Amino acid sequence: MTESEFATLATHVHDARKPLNRISMQAELVKMALNGDVPAERAMDALDKIIASTKACSESLTTMMSELGDSQTD
Amino acid sequence: MLTVLLVDDDPEFTDVACTIIEFLGHEVLTAANLAEARDWLTKETFDHVLLDFMLPDGSGAHLFDELDVLPKRPRVTLITGHPSVKGIIKGLCGPNIDYLVKPIQREEIEAVLTGKKNQKKQEPGPKVTRHFGHLIGESTPMKELYKLLERVSRTSANVMLLGESGVGKEVVAAAIHAASDAEGPYIATNCGAFSKELIGSELFGHEKGAFTGAVGRKAGVFEQSENGTLFLDEITEMPIDMQPNLLRVLENKVVIRVGGTKAIPVNCRVVSATNRSMEEIAESKVLREDIYFRLAVFPITIPPLRERKEDIPLLATYFIDELNKENGTNFIWEDTQLDTLKAYDWPGNVRELRHFVHRAAIMSDPEGSDIELPKTIESPFAKKQSTTPALQAGRTIEDVEKELIYATLEKVNGNKTLAAEMLGISTKTLYNRLHAYGDLSKEE
Repeated sequence: MTESEFATLATHVHDARKPLNRISMQAELVKMALNGDVPAERAMDALDKIIASTKACSESLTTMMSELGDSQTD
Repeated sequence: MLTVLLVDDDPEFTDVACTIIEFLGHEVLTAANLAEARDWLTKETFDHVLLDFMLPDGSGAHLFDELDVLPKRPRVTLITGHPSVKGIIKGLCGPNIDYLVKPIQREEIEAVLTGKKNQKKQEPGPKVTRHFGHLIGESTPMKELYKLLERVSRTSANVMLLGESGVGKEVVAAAIHAASDAEGPYIATNCGAFSKELIGSELFGHEKGAFTGAVGRKAGVFEQSENGTLFLDEITEMPIDMQPNLLRVLENKVVIRVGGTKAIPVNCRVVSATNRSMEEIAESKVLREDIYFRLAVFPITIPPLRERKEDIPLLATYFIDELNKENGTNFIWEDTQLDTLKAYDWPGNVRELRHFVHRAAIMSDPEGSDIELPKTIESPFAKKQSTTPALQAGRTIEDVEKELIYATLEKVNGNKTLAAEMLGISTKTLYNRLHAYGDLSKEE
């Protein structure tokens, strides 16, 4: 792996981490809602955001694969 | 209540983090980049700044200088998404700045805000496996031991455990019981702890009025461990004239209580233990031969700690974890410390190690995670152990004298004047002796 490829990879990993961090925070929110610490509606909202984040994470992994794949064929 | 500034460029993250921080009873303001953060710092006073390491207009570390000149410097917790950056941040910010690695959990936010750091971190650490619910160690000698235990626990054979003091014979006995699925209880007693008069009552029980002070009837340990496991520690310390009684129980599987007449059937596995070697048992006649063969149907030798040094870190970690749980501390070993422990021979075996870990934990600052090791690991018994053989019959006085001289020299780091003084001889005599041993040419 060249240095530039590694840099690309690092950027993508960073992008993929972002939705994961969001998921973990939203999950904490769901826990709090189940505990009655915050209104229950927030749990529903948080779960929607979790689903959105999983898609975002999946997308960024796909992007990473295709970009790294491109650089392989170059 | 604290006033917290949260600096992070991900709005979704800050949104939820704010909910959590507010729920914890604090006031929170947010900034999405360094510029906004600087702006807030001029307007408000903060108790705590949660700072993302990588922001759109630069690193969060750039804010440090500005925070330093504030009249009231807030506590700072750096947040990073990269576990690999953790080490750099740790070195960069020193002990006064905390850091969190994303994904962050609510408890972690709670912990940094209340200042009780690292409380959560310990849990995900590698758990020490306890074999048969009791034994710790992954070394080859221990693996062999596990194999033996597994085999013997499936039978009802009597086991004799041999091993040096402190290797954990009682722990192994409990492990055998745990592995055997015995219905009855595990009862342990120490044969060396009772006087000749009392051991009969302890083992076999007594009837009311059997002797002065026998105010009631008492079941002995054989009866108590019905269908279970009876552990007889220090079996070789049992008075020799009581041993025929024990033999009768082992052969006939019935006990007669002291002062009683009725034979009570008993059924238990007897695990006995001694810190003497098999040769020693045979030579010193502390155990009758017939008893030995009854008890040692399956003899197991437990390896001393120095023969399984790779287990020392596991044991030390387990002991410190236990102490942490007990005292609410967060001590963590450093690798170099574990190496130090591994280098020592531990003549007192696991017991000595546990004692040492306990002492180190007491010596250390309970607020921190660093364990303070004494400069030297020294046991009062270590020396004794090495010199005990010197005091056995069959050695010449010269031989013993030579060993004493060398032991003394070692103790005083080779200072001959001091050694001579301790030995109660003149320095000249000491030199003469060393000359005779041919040891002075090296140094003088």
